Amino acid sequence: MTTRVFEKWYREDRLPHIFCTGCGNGTVMNCAIKAVEEMHWEIDDTIFVSGIGCSSRAPGYMSTDSLHTTHGRALTFATGVKMANPDLNVVVFTGDGDASAIGGNHFIHACRRNIDMTVICMNNMIYGMTGGQGSPCTPVGKISTTTPYGATEPVFDLAELAVAAGANHVARWTSYHTKELTRAIETGLATEGLSFIEAMVQCPTAYGRRNKFRKATDQVEWMRTHAILLQKVRRLEEEGKPIPEEHFAVGEFVHRQRPAMGVRR
Amino acid sequence: MKLKIDERRCKGCNLCTIVCPYNIFQEGRKLNERGIIVPVLDRPERCTNCRLRHLYGRQLCGACQMICPDQAIYWVEEDPYSEESVVIEF
Repeated sequence: MTTRVFEKWYREDRLPHIFCTGCGNGTVMNCAIKAVEEMHWEIDDTIFVSGIGCSSRAPGYMSTDSLHTTHGRALTFATGVKMANPDLNVVVFTGDGDASAIGGNHFIHACRRNIDMTVICMNNMIYGMTGGQGSPCTPVGKISTTTPYGATEPVFDLAELAVAAGANHVARWTSYHTKELTRAIETGLATEGLSFIEAMVQCPTAYGRRNKFRKATDQVEWMRTHAILLQKVRRLEEEGKPIPEEHFAVGEFVHRQRPAMGVRR
Repeated sequence: MKLKIDERRCKGCNLCTIVCPYNIFQEGRKLNERGIIVPVLDRPERCTNCRLRHLYGRQLCGACQMICPDQAIYWVEEDPYSEESVVIEF
């Protein structure tokens, strides 16, 4: 007997996948599949939807039904699936460019409608697949092919955006925090209404190489040391102290019970 | 149980070396036949899941398996007495 990871859910004939060495998307796939397995969902009742991008390759490696749709429109296709058959469990994989740049409008409206699905956003802070262009999530001062002197635009905080737009469960973790990420996805799957989980992942090829992370492990270490718990961020804000530079909040942003759409009766 | 790395899947990113609480995974030095430097296992019998899985009856720790982006880390059931291979000399 061997204990491989979730043999049932991965398409063994498709592995190894095409992600680069050290890419965090595989880790997030592991976490998502573990959470789905702990929900005891059937393969026939689950559907994975994705748009275009590195992260959106993920459903191709899973043995469930999946949709690989147009750029930024993963959430619209997922809405259609959910409206057509509310008995299906819909999980959407999307990236930061997919969800916030080209599909930003669909994203906020999916949050507003509060459709019963789980959105896992793998935020690698860059457009990885097309050669490392700057995305709305590229941090200020970081180098990409379209921002060779450092990005100057303010960053989109996707988790806060989802909270403001009205999602029912919002969390953010990194690909280093696998246990917490799995737990957050599991809570999201169990929550009625749209649950948005932002997973910060490393991109050693397009992002790390240009930003002084020589190896994938360096960027994971950076994420580990620069992630602060949301409770600590709130406490620092109450005390009027500044949040340390380049740090980002991780944790469960919101968990509420707004009326949801497309819930199974 | 025995800890193993699937050399057909591993891409040599060394993420497992930073999560193992016992530092079982060490950066390798040799290229394998696919041209990838696979991590080497330093005394893998210390692994928590190897030692205690049958006692607890569930998956323990498993941080390396979860963080491995290539799904290359797995455990195999150990065959008793497999170490002592008998060589018959004629």
